[in-house]
Amino acid sequence: MSSRTVAKKVIWARRLVQAACLLLFLWLVWYAGVHGSGEPLPVWVNAFFHIDPLILVGTWLASHALPVACLLALVTIAITVLLGRVFCGWVCPLGTVHNMAAWFRRYAKNLRRRTDPWSPWQRAKYLLLVALLVMAAFGSHWIGVFDPLSLLYRTTTTVLAPGTQYAVEDGATAVYQANPQVGPLKATSVTEPSYRFLRDHVFVRERPVFLGATLMTLVFVAIVLLNLYRPRFWCRYVCPLGALLGVCAKRSALRLVEKGSCVECGRCAMQCPAAASPEKPGGWRSMECFGCWNCVAVCHKDAITFGLRAPTKAPPEAQLDISKRAALCAGLTGAGAMVMMRLNPEAQARVYNPALIRPPGALDERGFLKRCVKCGACMRVCPTNALHPTGLEAGLEGIWTPRLVPRLGYCEYNCNLCGQMCPTEAIEPLSIEEKQKVKIGLATFDRARCLPFAYGRTCLICEEHCPTSPKAIYFVSTEVELRDGKKVVLKQPRVDPELCIGCGICESVCVFKDIPAIRVTSANETRHMGNQPILPGPSGSESWMDQSGPDAYGDEGSGSSEDSSDPYS
Amino acid sequence: MAGQTRRKFLKRSAVAGGMAVLGPAGVSAAQADTQLCIARWTGNADVPMSEEATKLTEKAIEGLGGMGRFVKKGDVVWIKPNMAWNRAPEFAANTHPDIVGTLVRLCMDAGAKKVKVGDRTCHKAKESYPKSGIEAAAKTAGAEVVYLDDSRFREMALDGERLEKWLVYPEIVESDLVINVPIAKHHAIAKATVCMKNYMGIVGGNRGQWHQALATCLCDITAFMKPTLSVLDATRVLLRNGPTGGNLNDVKRMDTVAAGTDVVALDAFGAELLGNDPSEIESVVAGEKRGLGQMDYRKLAMKELTVA
Repeated sequence: MSSRTVAKKVIWARRLVQAACLLLFLWLVWYAGVHGSGEPLPVWVNAFFHIDPLILVGTWLASHALPVACLLALVTIAITVLLGRVFCGWVCPLGTVHNMAAWFRRYAKNLRRRTDPWSPWQRAKYLLLVALLVMAAFGSHWIGVFDPLSLLYRTTTTVLAPGTQYAVEDGATAVYQANPQVGPLKATSVTEPSYRFLRDHVFVRERPVFLGATLMTLVFVAIVLLNLYRPRFWCRYVCPLGALLGVCAKRSALRLVEKGSCVECGRCAMQCPAAASPEKPGGWRSMECFGCWNCVAVCHKDAITFGLRAPTKAPPEAQLDISKRAALCAGLTGAGAMVMMRLNPEAQARVYNPALIRPPGALDERGFLKRCVKCGACMRVCPTNALHPTGLEAGLEGIWTPRLVPRLGYCEYNCNLCGQMCPTEAIEPLSIEEKQKVKIGLATFDRARCLPFAYGRTCLICEEHCPTSPKAIYFVSTEVELRDGKKVVLKQPRVDPELCIGCGICESVCVFKDIPAIRVTSANETRHMGNQPILPGPSGSESWMDQSGPDAYGDEGSGSSEDSSDPYS
Repeated sequence: MAGQTRRKFLKRSAVAGGMAVLGPAGVSAAQADTQLCIARWTGNADVPMSEEATKLTEKAIEGLGGMGRFVKKGDVVWIKPNMAWNRAPEFAANTHPDIVGTLVRLCMDAGAKKVKVGDRTCHKAKESYPKSGIEAAAKTAGAEVVYLDDSRFREMALDGERLEKWLVYPEIVESDLVINVPIAKHHAIAKATVCMKNYMGIVGGNRGQWHQALATCLCDITAFMKPTLSVLDATRVLLRNGPTGGNLNDVKRMDTVAAGTDVVALDAFGAELLGNDPSEIESVVAGEKRGLGQMDYRKLAMKELTVA
């Protein structure tokens, strides 16, 4: 059997593996997004992050600590040392997305026969890797911004999944409302059942919407469109994971081997998505090659094939080709970028950003940024759409890290999914009981808006929903004179800072939907002593209320004091 | 031959006619008038709550004349429990699952074509439905558990005192029978939340507004819904920190299920169980004034049963 025939079979195998990996990736995203908070998440739910060596190396450099599961990435490294960058060519779901985009390009623009020779700019990714690793070593985990798996997970979570859901739901609703019909045939008899099936079995949860999805979309569209300029532009020029694997693949055992019948037709170069120079005798770049086998499959002369060679001797063609000076500059750029990003008062903990409410169990800000890979997995798994990608609230350093936006969603009291989900334990995996004690912020009333204070009306929706027991929101009955001189007794709410955990359900249910009359800020968050204005109560007591009995809820009219009988007496 | 056939026919007609007059088997005229039936558990306290709830529900409905009084063959029934909160059954924030399950079964037995169970929750439905235990219990009993779809509420004319129109869930209103199945709980504004308050789970929109005139709004929605059958879960009630609860110390066993046709009476009864004077519950007073029912439930055609 000629190498070409073998290669054609290998290519089909590769396509199947690629499709399977992409589908598996999407299925895992889907799975996380429909999981109820009732049962624990399986460990394999974020498997893709655990096999990602860039996350392994970056997180270890930044925080010197790792969840054990991350060590799985050593397998990826071992495979790369043996077989080259097959992760890029066979496994990486973002690589497959680029592959598909590049495939469209070839047929759409008839660019099949254009040769894309190796470009010195392909070295850029190695310099980016150096810069990012230096940043990580100084404790700034910006790797997640560029890590392809983080990037795709984040984009799927915030853009692709909600976008699909929006299109389907809004489309079906439009048809439902317009109710077009031709004779006895109604369009809804098709759209409604399909819509219901998708709603109940595919989307499952209410449609989420994420802050900053526009930017996320633009970034993603841009990197996909770059395939029009060069196939797999991202993988060739930018991807730091590709660079890391490239370094590992320098002396890979599986190599492109010449059989001596080459006529230098250049077909292989045309088919090479990685611009790994398969056409140059002795010039094949193992660090660039994705191991896709395209070159072998197109070679009419059967002049090349992949074969195993002892990796002991450094082959002459495998040159990193990066000067020490360039590497030093990259490192300095990384360090400089990190310093620049910390040049804001919040990064130096002089003040705290009120809108930076981190998920429960998040480490202190510095520790958190050392671990968070900005993958958006917590946002995906959050059942209330409360977690959103941070814009600049945590500085540029913390872009796309999660923050809770109580106006849009609240932290579900009986849920700890984000901690279970986080692949690097930037959010600690707390038990439900532990998590319920973590304060992520503090609610404050805006008395100029709150109805019983400002408009003489009864409300107390916030108190109704407050999940702690006893409730952190209580009320004081106060006599208020209305415009007509009539006096009414109104229940005016207050917040008990000892009990308030900052879950934000009060803000999310407040009748004001523009600026809620009760708002949660990061004040009092457990993770920062410096951001706690409230002196905690005496140790051993959860609240001063426990000592003073039910009267402390407010006045006689508070309801809670009306029946103070012990239910078990 | 022809005569024989006619005789047979007449015989059958007579039997059918008699049944039509008497109603479905087992329903006496007296039972069909009963407006309120309170079933109390006097049996062993160690019996699991699920068994207790099931038996109490069966008896309470039986005392009211059986489900056949309310459900006709081929009916679509909507059961509206309170399953608003992501809380396990023991915290008494949601209706007990076995009461809902039993009602589903009774409806199916009475010939209902379909029984649907759904609520517009306060916490996310995806969390509350399973956590309340109601989803599983209802499905086991053969009901369709419906997750309300936010885009399918429709503005309806309530023509109330305060609410001229509001978003209501059409699928609920279009059902042949809506059974209101609340649990009695403490509530800071309503003081007691029972049947009328439970109707807040069929409406959409910014319903938090209703707190600004809760009693009137509840009368408006209740009048719109024209209640027929309500079943009050007071197997255990939530005395404090309602309606969310979350602390078992706030839960008190009452071992009671009450079924009735008068929501005002049931609300008054529920308020009493929570230690309130019904005349201090605004929605109860306003409900009676509006003609939605009677506060003094003892004056109704009432039955009190003990179940062991």
